[in-house]
Amino acid sequence: MITVHGLCKSFTARDGETVEALRDVDLEVAENEFLTVLGPSGCGKTTLLRALAGLVPWDDGDILVDGEPVRGPGPERSMVFQNFALLPWATVLENVAFGLRLRGVARAERAERARSLLATVGLAGCEAKLPGELSGGMQQRVGIARALAVRPRVLLMDEPFGAVDEQTRRLLQEELLALWEEHRLTVVFITHSMEEAVLLGDRVALMSARPGRIAEIVPVGLERPRSRDISGLARSGEYAEITTYLWERLREMHAEHRRDGVAS
Amino acid sequence: MATLVSLAGGAALWELAGRTADTSSLPPLSQVLGRLAEMTREGTLVGSVGDSLVNLALGLAISLVAGLAVGTAMGRGRRTEAALGVYVHALLTAPSLVFAPVFFSLLGAGRASIVAVVVMYAVFVVIVNTASAVRTVPPHLVEMARSYGASERQVLVRVVLPAAAPLIMAGVRLGVGRAVTGMVNGEMFIAVVGLGRLVTEAGGRFDSAGVLAVLLIVIAVALGALALVQAVDRVVTRWTPTTWKDAR
Amino acid sequence: MTLTATPRRTRRGPGTRAGPRPAHRPGPLRRFLGMNLPYQLLTFAVFAGGWELYARARGGLLLPGFTETVRATVALLGEAELWRALYVSNQALLLGFALAVVVGIPAGTALGRFRQFERYADVYLNILLVTPMAALIPLLVMSMGVGPASRVVLVALFSVVMVIVNSRAGVRQVDPALIEMARSFGADERRIWTRILLPAALPAVMTGIRLGLGRAVTGMVLVELLMVSDGLGGLILTYRGLLKAPPLYGVIAIILAEALLLVSAAHWAERRLTRWARPNEPRSLSASGPRTARSF
Repeated sequence: MITVHGLCKSFTARDGETVEALRDVDLEVAENEFLTVLGPSGCGKTTLLRALAGLVPWDDGDILVDGEPVRGPGPERSMVFQNFALLPWATVLENVAFGLRLRGVARAERAERARSLLATVGLAGCEAKLPGELSGGMQQRVGIARALAVRPRVLLMDEPFGAVDEQTRRLLQEELLALWEEHRLTVVFITHSMEEAVLLGDRVALMSARPGRIAEIVPVGLERPRSRDISGLARSGEYAEITTYLWERLREMHAEHRRDGVAS
Repeated sequence: MATLVSLAGGAALWELAGRTADTSSLPPLSQVLGRLAEMTREGTLVGSVGDSLVNLALGLAISLVAGLAVGTAMGRGRRTEAALGVYVHALLTAPSLVFAPVFFSLLGAGRASIVAVVVMYAVFVVIVNTASAVRTVPPHLVEMARSYGASERQVLVRVVLPAAAPLIMAGVRLGVGRAVTGMVNGEMFIAVVGLGRLVTEAGGRFDSAGVLAVLLIVIAVALGALALVQAVDRVVTRWTPTTWKDAR
Repeated sequence: MTLTATPRRTRRGPGTRAGPRPAHRPGPLRRFLGMNLPYQLLTFAVFAGGWELYARARGGLLLPGFTETVRATVALLGEAELWRALYVSNQALLLGFALAVVVGIPAGTALGRFRQFERYADVYLNILLVTPMAALIPLLVMSMGVGPASRVVLVALFSVVMVIVNSRAGVRQVDPALIEMARSFGADERRIWTRILLPAALPAVMTGIRLGLGRAVTGMVLVELLMVSDGLGGLILTYRGLLKAPPLYGVIAIILAEALLLVSAAHWAERRLTRWARPNEPRSLSASGPRTARSF
């Protein structure tokens, strides 16, 4: 479904130095797959996602979605942001309908679709509230509803649960899995939490930093559906095995960096 | 409440000081109010207030349109900012009335010159605030809109301008205050119409009660204009959490 | 709201970066276009050229061209008349501004610390902020004559409000936790003032001083233009009366230059003294940020 081939991207930092954010990234995401991308901060995983979303230009390589090269944002992909990116002056309903409005969907239809999605994410009754009146977890539910409102086939999620507290994160993870199991979407999910990467993903793409590249792709054999009992999964032996392995790999990368004298 | 007490106290103090000091330069409040009533009856005051308000409205309208346009262009475009930033800041700090003689020679001794002075006073603060408001719009909101395929115009109308509205309104508020000042100063310098001319004339007659009476009217005009802006502000920025407004 | 020219230092030396060479380094032309200066020069050129052409086409006795103005400005700098006017104006400026600072900082900090006062003073501060001070000039002249005294008082009146308002904001926004911290170490009110409130309020006070200086220059020019025909403003009126347009524009340019010079100096001093206060000021996510009274 998504093919990334030889993607390179570097940019000039403010002090004039060139930073290689991505080097030769190859990635293949299957239809309806849930792929998590795990890596240390500054490894370019967010840059990769923004390139997938068509928000930033890159230097070399191709990104194909269904064989079509990505040249900018497209209706089949929608993004969920780490800091929610809700419009603070618009009501929850207007926020959810934002993408539809840009696409010229009629008022009645967009209200109806937004309403039903709000019910799906458990926010029925909050339509007229402003984002500032909601908790972080509720705000991100609005963000997810907004992304789903445009009926995308790919959901690009940039550390979506990074800014919420532990318990809320667990709830949101369960809800997201349930949504995914029901809607059958392709998901690319960026995270810096090993736990989250393993619990959610079909595969974990492990990235290394400077230059950012895919170090390894680790398949996660945990059974589906997982939305029922995430916490139970987190106690299983298989889960422990994969996270241990990921941790070792991350620690190795860290050590390599120190040896190379690159500040991390 | 404290405001009213304070105003009443101030008025009493003024009256008292005016009566005891007994100098021509500080007439008691009652005398000033009497003079105000007299001037109203004569009809000079009403006409002048009207003239001044027209000058103010014209100058403000030009300042707002130009200020929003230039400010948005500066906030969005790095090159526009680079080309104009220094000059706008310089003109913001410069004593604006020194340009009055220039306008006088370009536009003649009439309303146009006064309006130009008002614009000179008000426009730069609107530009600077608009530019910084547009520049500090959270980039993730713009990116979000782009990810849904928003065009440049949609980004501007649906995201940038609403997000910048609170700071823009702060600039407009400052602009209105400065416009009133510009109006009076311009009218005093190019003394052909308006409240400024009345002040100058009263000063020339050593009519201190008259000067103060006009000053009261000027303050009322300023506060009225500000109240109007604040009413608009409340509607435009209803979504802003109260803590943001406190920061002013 | 201010001239915030961030010093852009590019360190380029051997051994500053590791790893492979970047694919392309911005060329000299690209780097030149990345700076602000070319655009500023362009704006200036357009402005000067437009002025010159307009003056050539439409100019009369009262509208000199750009080059003519420059020449007159240079000539003015050699004239005793100008230096006398500068002396007269700046004397009033200096005294009035000093008065404003001496009165404004204590008044402002006290208002910020003692809220009871503030509730009553607020109306008057707001009125002072919106009142066109120029309208007071006739009164001042009536009571104090056209001598230096009325000019000094007017300059002080112009700038004192800025100093008060910003000093007040500076004290008011001090983190109460800092005061509690000092109390917990047994500090008395005097120590709280000297160790916490004043240092913490310094950035805002300095901002007030800078803005006040700008207003002081405005007041200086205003009173001379509107009532007391002396100093630089008086020079403008004299040249206008004589229909000598080039030196008239020259005086305007000199006044503008002085205003900018003074405000830039104040800004520089402000940044030297309060470096801790603005590590990386812009880019505040909330778009509100430390927006005290700096926007005046």
